[in-house]
Amino acid sequence: MIVKYFATIRTYTGETERRIDDAPAGMRELLTSLAARYGTAFRRAVFSGDQLSGEIIILVNGRNVVHLEGLDTPLKASDEVSIFPMVAGG
Amino acid sequence: MFGWTGTILRVDLTKGKVSREATDPQLARDYLGARGLGGHIVRSEVDPKTDALGADNKIVFAPGPLTGTFAPSAGRFDVVTKGPLNGVLAASNSGGTFGPELKYAGYDALIIEGKSAKPVYLWIKDDEVEIRDAAALWGHTTPDATDLVRAETDEDAKVSCIGPAGEHLSPISNIMNEMHRAAGRTGVGAVMGSKNIKAVAVLGSGAVKVADPEGFKAAVMKARQMIQAHPVGGSGLKAYGTDVLVNILNQTGALPTRNFQDGYFPTADKTGGESLAAKQLIRPKGCFSCIISCGRVTKVDSPDYKGIGEGPEYETAWAFGADCGIDDLDAITKANFLCNEYGMDTISLGSTIACAMELFERGIITTKDTDGVQLTFGNTAAMVEMVEKAGRGEGFGAKLAQGSYRLADSYGHPEYSMTCKKQEMPAYDPRGVQGIGLNYATGNRGGCHVRGYTIAIEVLQNGAVMDPHVTDDKAGLGVTFQDLTAALDSSGACLFATFGIGGAELTEMLAALTGVDYTLDEFMRIGERIWNQERLWNLEAGFTSADDTLPRRLLTEPIKTGPSKGHISHLDDMLPEYYQLRGWDEKGVPGKAKLKELTLN
Ligand code: SF4
Repeated sequence: MIVKYFATIRTYTGETERRIDDAPAGMRELLTSLAARYGTAFRRAVFSGDQLSGEIIILVNGRNVVHLEGLDTPLKASDEVSIFPMVAGG
Repeated sequence: MFGWTGTILRVDLTKGKVSREATDPQLARDYLGARGLGGHIVRSEVDPKTDALGADNKIVFAPGPLTGTFAPSAGRFDVVTKGPLNGVLAASNSGGTFGPELKYAGYDALIIEGKSAKPVYLWIKDDEVEIRDAAALWGHTTPDATDLVRAETDEDAKVSCIGPAGEHLSPISNIMNEMHRAAGRTGVGAVMGSKNIKAVAVLGSGAVKVADPEGFKAAVMKARQMIQAHPVGGSGLKAYGTDVLVNILNQTGALPTRNFQDGYFPTADKTGGESLAAKQLIRPKGCFSCIISCGRVTKVDSPDYKGIGEGPEYETAWAFGADCGIDDLDAITKANFLCNEYGMDTISLGSTIACAMELFERGIITTKDTDGVQLTFGNTAAMVEMVEKAGRGEGFGAKLAQGSYRLADSYGHPEYSMTCKKQEMPAYDPRGVQGIGLNYATGNRGGCHVRGYTIAIEVLQNGAVMDPHVTDDKAGLGVTFQDLTAALDSSGACLFATFGIGGAELTEMLAALTGVDYTLDEFMRIGERIWNQERLWNLEAGFTSADDTLPRRLLTEPIKTGPSKGHISHLDDMLPEYYQLRGWDEKGVPGKAKLKELTLN
């Protein structure tokens, strides 16, 4: 599985992407393990309590997890996960 | 009047005559200003079938009631005219400081009509208005012309001018304000060129009168705090600019690539806002009274593309980037600088070069047409060279400067022009994001994203979130966004203020400023009135429901790679409902009841 980071998330992770060999079963497990790796700023960006923060956009293969199963979205080894803070423009 | 100055300035270039008239308070109330009031003036005074580049067309510069106040991001104005690119009721919105200055000089609108026999510019200093000789300015780029005008008038004058592209009547030319801010789309620069007017310089010493100073201050402070607290308005746009969108659109599979042949560009990250901030950003920059500061002051060091200027915005980074198959940010930024200097629309020119690249790769045009240039996708040097040529109107550049529809049509292949109503679409693929396709197809000025930015909900999760791949409820979303934006544009605020505040806050500020008891319902009704006003003009100009469509490619050819692989646009699932919600018949004509309700004829 590949996890890609964008905008301010890169300042929390210090890297633009990470390959994960043992794909976790679902989004909650993935984010929990990434929060353990990257620390408090990352954790605050992605979680609001034990829920997904409303100010984070997470795509699995291009689909926003809010249109999938949120934190319960199952994951597999071939998935590409993209993590964005809220961004905008036009 | 409060909020409005109460005066409209009229300059007849044929007769060399300057006059003033009172702003009609009822029209001001019903249309606010800028796009709405300017549109009303043009629709009342110009025949929709007139030649956009003829003496009978008029061009209106109009700020809104909020323009020039300390409301957040309230420095906007619109240039309204019959658009030369496609004949629509064109309104080009711009930031900078020109709009507020026109207000301080005492004007709700400046109407320029007729045609001068020789090049001139306009110098407005409060009540003193002069039509001056511009022989020495003609041919100059926008930064040079701005400097020359300031040297002849006042170093603090705010200057709105055209570059060489407007002079050679390119229908994709801009009017540039203070060198770097564009009144873009629809080719408004060519209208100035056709009238032989190179620039308008203005300096004002007045102020905007406020009906309820305490109430206005409270409403403004609340709005400012909301923007400040918003992750995008408060910090995101300042840090990365609008170009931060490259990656999220690409990862969604909706970044149009190689003239919309695909929706995913593998190396797009090299052209995104993160790369721009790391490589080129000198500092963020805001327009008048703006705490968001999405502007980019940038520098390119690489020898081939060296320069200092402003940009690129997301749309520009896409148009000269993924759409041309290019991932060299230095070349993209150089192309942006050149467009600003020549006064050209970056979206339209980038998309036109992408169209030419497709024509070239398909063998429809060859090096015989392109002045010997191998115009293939990904050819960075060729892209920059073509921008220069188009700016000067030289060789193949003269064809590019006509926009992609006229270019592709001249070779018998209009289907490769990625346009709606002949205007180039911006950087969101309607096959990957359904609602934006409906917005392009129904856009009153053609392919355009800033008049119904459904992306905010379909991709960016701003306030609410809807699945980009479904068509359900997208007609309603489009109508609401189009009406809200029409009213917002006409108020004088920047669209990006909505990354923090909404219609309720804008209404509150407008009511306290003007003393008019506006409600949110009335604000939205004003937007609907303006949208229908533009629709009526377009119908009178000869557009029909057949023009409310997308290029055939988007309706029939699925995206080939990336996250939206296999998707096409389902416009037909949304359009009938859209007409119905608008109160229009099945041919897209507003019904009598709707017009009566909106007090339109
Ligand atoms: S948000 Fe950007 S475009 Fe809008 S007023 Fe501010 S700096 Fe100008």
